[in-house]
Amino acid sequence: MKTEIKNEWVYEQPPNEVWKYLTEADLIALWLMPNNFKPILGHEFQFTAKPIPSLDLDGIFYCKVIEMTPPQKLIYSWKGGSGDGIFTLDTIVEWTLEKHGQGTKLFLTQSGFKETNLAIFNAMTKGWQTNIQKMINHLNTSPS
Amino acid sequence: MTAQTFDAFQVIADPSRRQMLMLLSKESLTINGLAENFNMSRPAVSKHIKILYGAGFISITGIGRERHCILKQDGFNKLQDFINYFDKFWESKLKKLETLLNNKQNQTNH
Repeated sequence: MKTEIKNEWVYEQPPNEVWKYLTEADLIALWLMPNNFKPILGHEFQFTAKPIPSLDLDGIFYCKVIEMTPPQKLIYSWKGGSGDGIFTLDTIVEWTLEKHGQGTKLFLTQSGFKETNLAIFNAMTKGWQTNIQKMINHLNTSPS
Repeated sequence: MTAQTFDAFQVIADPSRRQMLMLLSKESLTINGLAENFNMSRPAVSKHIKILYGAGFISITGIGRERHCILKQDGFNKLQDFINYFDKFWESKLKKLETLLNNKQNQTNH
């Protein structure tokens, strides 16, 4: 069971160049979403997208800069919900930049997808199989 | 019964319901068997069971005179949807960044 998202991408441009596109609000908006990001540790900001009804998300993501090491690492929290003040999505987004020849290898991890819930999920997927078997056994042995 | 509908996350946000699901992940239980594990009134237990049932986390099957609660997959698939969505989301965004950076470079070169 997957509990985090990992992605990597190679860009022809050097880390300094890619870093700008991760940390300047106007440039972030060009490829990601409208935002009020500032490259300041502890800065709270939002990304605003269209609502995603299928996931019960109102499209506003609440973030906070947690770690910043130019031009190598950027970490922010990434939370969202249906707009009632409860975050059903409570995750951490981590960007890592590595030199790759003349260019940059960019690693992205989004983690924390309700780990307690996923732990339950894991327990259940196993339990689910067992239960089916028990059910079948039960049905087979029950006097009809 | 028209119980209030909860989404997958609201369902497992409640500790009692999480515990019910954990118990059911070990074995299927009758409603009475489930209630024995909780220090709450029978109507309160029933209410939680209705919510779990309504959101597709369990099914209720009559075996003999007993009603058994059994785990069901549907409710959990929604959690997976979250991950699947953002996986695709990031991939498309990273691709977009590449196009953007390359276009910018071409403009500078020309």
